[in-house]
Amino acid sequence: MLVVLALATLVPTAIVGVLAILRARHDVEDEVQRGALAHIRALGAALDDTLQDARRTVELAAASWADAPGDTRETQLLLRRLRRDVPIVKSLSIVDPDGKLLYGDAVPTGIDIGSHSFGGYIGDAVFENGRPTVRLVVQARGRTGELMGVVIAALDLGFVRDAIAAARLGPGARVLVVDGTGVPVATSDAAPLEPRSLADRDPAVDRALESSVEGTLTEHGIVSAYRNLSSYQSLRGVRWAIVHEQPEAQAYALARRTTRDTAIVGCAALALVLALGAFFATRLTRPLADLARRADAIAAGQTSEGPPIRGPGEIGTLAHSVDEMAKRIAERAELQAALARGDRLASVGVMSAQVAHEINNPLTTVLGYAKLLQEDKPEGHPDRAALALIADEAERMKKIIGGLLEYARAPRASEPALTASAGTAEPAAVVRHVAALVAPQLRKAKAELATDVEARAPLAIEAHALQQVLVNLVQNAAQAGATKIAIAVAPAPGNVATRIVVRDDGPGIPAADRARVFDPFFTTKAPGAGTGLGLAVCKHLVTTAGGSIEVADGPGGRGAEFRVTLPNAA
Amino acid sequence: MPGYSAHVRWLAATLLIAACAGEPAAPPPIRFLHTFDAKETELFNATMAERRLAVESKLVPFARGQQVIAEMLRAGKHCPDAIRIDATWLPELVAAHVLAPPPRELVALDWTPEAAALAQVGGTWWAVPETVDGLVVARDAGMPAPASPSIADLVAAAKARGELAHPLAVRVDGYWLVPWLRAEGVELAPGDAIASQGAVRALASFAALFGGLVPAPPAAGSEAPEELRRWNDGEVAYWVTGPWQLGALRDRERVAVSALAHAPRGGQLLVVPTCAARPEAGWRLAGELTSVTVELVFADAFATVPTRRAAFDSAAPLVRAEYDALASAEPLPRSPVTPLLFDDLNPALAAVVAGDATAEEAAAGVARGWHRLEKR
Repeated sequence: MLVVLALATLVPTAIVGVLAILRARHDVEDEVQRGALAHIRALGAALDDTLQDARRTVELAAASWADAPGDTRETQLLLRRLRRDVPIVKSLSIVDPDGKLLYGDAVPTGIDIGSHSFGGYIGDAVFENGRPTVRLVVQARGRTGELMGVVIAALDLGFVRDAIAAARLGPGARVLVVDGTGVPVATSDAAPLEPRSLADRDPAVDRALESSVEGTLTEHGIVSAYRNLSSYQSLRGVRWAIVHEQPEAQAYALARRTTRDTAIVGCAALALVLALGAFFATRLTRPLADLARRADAIAAGQTSEGPPIRGPGEIGTLAHSVDEMAKRIAERAELQAALARGDRLASVGVMSAQVAHEINNPLTTVLGYAKLLQEDKPEGHPDRAALALIADEAERMKKIIGGLLEYARAPRASEPALTASAGTAEPAAVVRHVAALVAPQLRKAKAELATDVEARAPLAIEAHALQQVLVNLVQNAAQAGATKIAIAVAPAPGNVATRIVVRDDGPGIPAADRARVFDPFFTTKAPGAGTGLGLAVCKHLVTTAGGSIEVADGPGGRGAEFRVTLPNAA
Repeated sequence: MPGYSAHVRWLAATLLIAACAGEPAAPPPIRFLHTFDAKETELFNATMAERRLAVESKLVPFARGQQVIAEMLRAGKHCPDAIRIDATWLPELVAAHVLAPPPRELVALDWTPEAAALAQVGGTWWAVPETVDGLVVARDAGMPAPASPSIADLVAAAKARGELAHPLAVRVDGYWLVPWLRAEGVELAPGDAIASQGAVRALASFAALFGGLVPAPPAAGSEAPEELRRWNDGEVAYWVTGPWQLGALRDRERVAVSALAHAPRGGQLLVVPTCAARPEAGWRLAGELTSVTVELVFADAFATVPTRRAAFDSAAPLVRAEYDALASAEPLPRSPVTPLLFDDLNPALAAVVAGDATAEEAAAGVARGWHRLEKR
């Protein structure tokens, strides 16, 4: 069951956990890509702003010049101001509408002066003296919109490299700006720029040039974010792209660390939950296992009480119920045994009474004639001894028969208590009387009797019945060889009964015999020394009065101790 | 069982050869240079991926398209297999002898007459037409159409919408001036016609719309989004525009389109340069992009006008209306200098609209500029 519980807990938790971890990792990776995109977006905007600022300034200057194109002094002043105010301007020229140089620096041949470019453009990157440069071409149109000339400026793209170098990049990351043909314009790498197109060599560059906007790409272990800075609508769109590249291992380091840590913490939490679950499940199932064993034992007929089974909640209740059930089964079995034994004893009693009744009269005759014949014989006659023996044995037989009659006369447990419960007994008086009765016998056996009567409440038993019980117990002790015998009478717990304890320092009763000592005709005395009816009679008298009698070892395991509990008289 | 063993050996040998041979090498991607905008690029990439056509495309901004393409083809370096160009750029490329004619099977397709005309120069096919465009008059479907396509009736209809401050939308752009010039009998061509009284009247009447029926022009570069905003906000009753903008409208079903007299008609073409490494691949891409399926995909997305007759069977009503409205439009002169004319015309028109120059001054300046073009 534990395995099933563990699986039922582990499998869904593990699945949900793994899915959550994967989702979280995916989200973090998305964030990384978004972050890279945001970075190049901001970087691209900053770079574009710089170029567009230069373009706007040159456009204003061109428009201003176009209104007075023949003023050489003003034109020279304008060009000086432009060079000063636009620091990325490397060279500056003004050509006429046919491309002939009017003012400023020499212009390389083949420069398009802006035909069908909506008034001007920023060209692709070229490398001049190893430095990336773009050509800004602005048509200078006068007040009426007529073309008066064209301003051509070479813009040094070193600022792009400086801006990229100043950007805070992640470990292993680099930023790359390429022109419309894929030639790198600037890179965050320290390596010198190679004026060779990266198209067909760098997938991110290819994708950037293909795209009209931006995107991300993970290929060959490199995470790339790209943005095409070209624009369809803007008439001044710069045909270049910006790319952010970072090795996957470093780009997703945080995602992977988070995944690993989450997995470790998750596994630890799962293990803890499992351990706690196992602990509580064991605690939960152990009483159930004990209960199962107890049920098996009960089924096998072993109803003796074991240690109590404890468990939480319903299991505790169930355990208690099983214990109760076992106890009741045991009681029922005992009751059935007692009933069977009681029937047997009752049969024995009835038979004994009949036999005793039939034997008693002839025996009285035998005894009487034996005594008469003995008296008829003179002293010293050889028959006198034999006749005396006959009389003694007949006398003993009468005693046995008397005992049987006494046992048979006692009412059965199932009958109404008439005799014993009809009267009451004063414990102190009874004990005194018993002490007087047994005194000669005790002297002969060199035994002492001590009495201690604390309870004074009258007992619900006939006085002579209690007397017979106590005499039997004291005589048994003396006959067993005890030298110190004590009778103690004290209130039983609850004050509704009285406990009378008769203890001695004799050899005691072996544990194996204790269950049978109250059975009729059971005796441990030498053959002919006892009838085996004394304790049986005692038990009948006591139980008939509603009390109980039990035997145990004496104090310190020495001797025997009979405990008689009798209800107090109402 | 010798027969069984022989079969097993044959099978094993076949499997071994197949395993060693591996998959056939994938063909290199088609190199494509285009002028699509951002959304068009996304749809193009997705469509090509869906049709399992490997294309390595590169974007060239429309504003520099003619310049960059011409330079590239003249240099013969990094030559693409196919190029998407504006129809006005075709004559210059044909004159420069840098284009390859399309294969016969493409020419023989069911092109609309307008599209077929765009793809030809001097009666010879040099391109495959991808889409047709031009100027039309758009209005809300609940609005009455102008009485006729004439400019006068358009202006009258706009004036009737007195509840709107500026009920008409036109752009300060030489392309939009073309109907006004043609209404005065002036065609967009080098020569002295641009300095004629008719051209001056056209300039003046067009400029006179601003501040009245048309609001003052927005900052340069923001014309398109501003026009869209005004339309979506209900500030415009009649909008002179092209299919390229109608596709972006929020409620395309409520747009009605009618013709504008003398409107220019143009379009986009697919060409294959003579320097292409794989011209057959370039024409294959052109065939894919002009297949009825793809044309309808783009028409649904952007309200572009297809070039194949079959595409109109299932085209949206707006697209059919655009086609009908453009039927009466007239192409710009098929001359290499035509696209260059706008370099001078646009700033001159802006100067007149802004009040910096009179129509006469501006027209004279344009004439001088166009004369320079003639001398080249």
